[in-house]
Amino acid sequence: MKRITTVLVFLLACLAAAAQEVTLTVDAPESAVAGERFRIIYTINSTDGQFTRPKFDPSFSVQGPQQSTNRNVQWINGDMKVVSSTTLIYYVTAGTPGTYTIPAAQFETKRVTVSSQEKQIVIYDGDSSQQATGRQQGQTSAAGDAPASGSEVSMRILLSDRDVYAGQPITGTLKLYTRINLSGIQELKLPDFKGFLKEDIETPPLRSLENEVIDGVQYGTGVIQRFVLYPQIAGEIRIEPAEMTALVQERTAARDPFFNDPFFDSFFSSVSTVPRKITTQPLTVRVRPLPEPRPADFHGAVGSFTIESSVSATDAKLNDAVTLTVTLKGSGNLNLAGEPVISFPQGIEKYDPKVTVRSSGISAGSKVFEYLLIPRNTGTFEIPPVSYSVFDPGQEKYVTLRTGGFTLNVTGTPGQEEGAAPVYIPGEDVKYIGQDIRFIRNGNGRLTTLSSPLVASLHYWLWFALALFIALLVLVIRKQQIRRNADKAGMRNRRAAKNARKRLSRATALLKSGKKEEVNAEVARALWGYLGDKLRIDQSDLTREKCYTALRERKADEEMITELDRILTATEYSQYAPVSEVESPAALCERAALLIGKLDNVLD
Amino acid sequence: MVTLAGQSPEERYAQAGELYGSGDYSGAASLYRKLWEEGYRSRDLLYNAGNAFFKSGDNASAILFYERAKLLAPADEDIDYNLQIARSRITDRIESVPQLFFVRWFDFLALLTSTNTWAVAALVMFLAALVLALLFLTKARARGRLLSFWLAIAALLFSFLMILLALRNNNLVNHNKKAVITCSIVTGRSAPGETGNELFVLHSGTTVTVEQELGAFHEVRLPDGNKGWIRSDCMEKI
Repeated sequence: MKRITTVLVFLLACLAAAAQEVTLTVDAPESAVAGERFRIIYTINSTDGQFTRPKFDPSFSVQGPQQSTNRNVQWINGDMKVVSSTTLIYYVTAGTPGTYTIPAAQFETKRVTVSSQEKQIVIYDGDSSQQATGRQQGQTSAAGDAPASGSEVSMRILLSDRDVYAGQPITGTLKLYTRINLSGIQELKLPDFKGFLKEDIETPPLRSLENEVIDGVQYGTGVIQRFVLYPQIAGEIRIEPAEMTALVQERTAARDPFFNDPFFDSFFSSVSTVPRKITTQPLTVRVRPLPEPRPADFHGAVGSFTIESSVSATDAKLNDAVTLTVTLKGSGNLNLAGEPVISFPQGIEKYDPKVTVRSSGISAGSKVFEYLLIPRNTGTFEIPPVSYSVFDPGQEKYVTLRTGGFTLNVTGTPGQEEGAAPVYIPGEDVKYIGQDIRFIRNGNGRLTTLSSPLVASLHYWLWFALALFIALLVLVIRKQQIRRNADKAGMRNRRAAKNARKRLSRATALLKSGKKEEVNAEVARALWGYLGDKLRIDQSDLTREKCYTALRERKADEEMITELDRILTATEYSQYAPVSEVESPAALCERAALLIGKLDNVLD
Repeated sequence: MVTLAGQSPEERYAQAGELYGSGDYSGAASLYRKLWEEGYRSRDLLYNAGNAFFKSGDNASAILFYERAKLLAPADEDIDYNLQIARSRITDRIESVPQLFFVRWFDFLALLTSTNTWAVAALVMFLAALVLALLFLTKARARGRLLSFWLAIAALLFSFLMILLALRNNNLVNHNKKAVITCSIVTGRSAPGETGNELFVLHSGTTVTVEQELGAFHEVRLPDGNKGWIRSDCMEKI
């Protein structure tokens, strides 16, 4: 009877196995480092059949397979269920970097043939894999993020980026990896993140671990803490290791080979908890400084943002508050973004803005600046557009964001409101609110070309010499002329008396020949000639008055002048009157000769 | 920035003004600078160039052009004002030894008009002096003899003064020894070359006086009287 039962059980088991669908799964890492061994694991939920290994790339050196068979018989609600599986592990080492395809393996039973999936594997160069993984996002379990092989329990800090600009937020995750059972963690000590501003992200306490297969090794992983780092200084900044104590459960009894289950483990063996100290690897983050020159309206915002502004009213009453709201929206270091500088028109009282940050996700959200404005004067005021520059690490340049401006109409009667202090008192000084250079001149620009300086040319100086030479020449000629003229006058002066006497003797001769009319004229000519030569007066200029003045200047007696006047009158008179009525020409001649003699004494 | 060949300098000058007005300061600055390099000069051209450089952030060139503008118009208040603002934005603060008042006055007088105007005026004044001297020497008994004598002396002195002013103007405008540092930072050494002891560090925008030149190095005097050798490609002469 017992025998029959055994046979029956065996038959049933065979039937169950046959009824089960056969699957062939492959587990291979997505990437590996050239020269390092990795595992490709094939799992078949059957034990009977023919496994055909895939054709690995010839550059792979393959060891194995290591085969293990497992069979479980389970009784569930009175039904027996046989679960059998076969695991084949190949140890593969890839020689050259590149992307390879692991072809499908096949498993053939009496009834069906199944194939595994094809797998892509990227083989990195030993060095570049470090860089490649360093740049990779922390959440994807790339080869570089795998814990150090051999450590059963380890911890890593995963950073979203390790090459950033100052102020650019980095998301960090502190993650636990374990291959063994832990009963808890203790004494988590995070590094002090020198050079960063750290902001914790609310992380749910670690209650259960998730399964993650890294490099063919299964780990239980869990996020301990998430945080955002804002680099504050530029340079290669080192993040010190984090420390933690993990409480490791260690079995003291031998492992039961049949019940390979944690539940049975803890049930059948005695377990003790051992604290084990684990630390992370130190990391370095390259923080690049923000490029210079920074725009004047840059206030420390790094990220990708948009800006908008609104006012609560565009028509306002005097002394009634108006709110200008400027909203900065986007992702980046919102907390460190400074307030925009707005130059409000004079006559509007401005208060410091109320700043609120609304977060939506990790280092994203909006920052709202609310400016309370109180118009203190009536009129139309222009609230200028807000210009706010941010540094966009994606574009690696400064982006200037602008909003529209507003026009504020303020109405009301000044002084009506009680308690509203008048802002403008008469006689107030002019307010200087800014400083800038003066504007260019756009007048008719008369452009002149460069002309060579005259003082540097010899010609210029020769002009001076020429002028001097001509002047000297003129001077010499003129001097000679003057001398000659002076000589002439002197001669006439010296000869004046002699000439006069000649004329008088001619008059006497005329008298003897009986031409009485001509005598008087000759006497007059003698006198005028004498006076002209002696007094150096031109004959054409000669008048009686001039002669008398000149004579008086030369200290001549009045008697002489009277005599002269008489003789001159007589000569003129005699020319128009009958001869009998005048003095005899002979007497006139004598008197004239006598006068000339006297004058000569005075004038010489 | 498209500049059509064959545009007259006046058109380009107006174009630069429009660029400035529309906010393209560096475009305006390069146009103004090109006009200057082609030999065109006017007070407004240099003043506008200084403004354009200032607005485009090149303080050293702004100071350079304001200084040049000041040589053409020493009494222009706008140039003085803008130069003062540009100077307030440079790094170096050096106590300058002020020039003697009569040197200042004389330079101011010399820069009131161009060197050639002074030169021609001096020649005319000299001719006037000669004519007056001839009058004095030949019109022996003329009543204005004494007057012409003094006038001739005065004209001669004026002519002499104007020659000095023309020479001074030529020196200031065409042979100015002042230079503006254009490198953002440069070291002054005790000897030409890279071997001399480091004496001081200058930043862009500082005005220095070139004392002597030796190869690629110039000996400069700082406004406070100190001297040192500086690479010549780190400065531009006014």
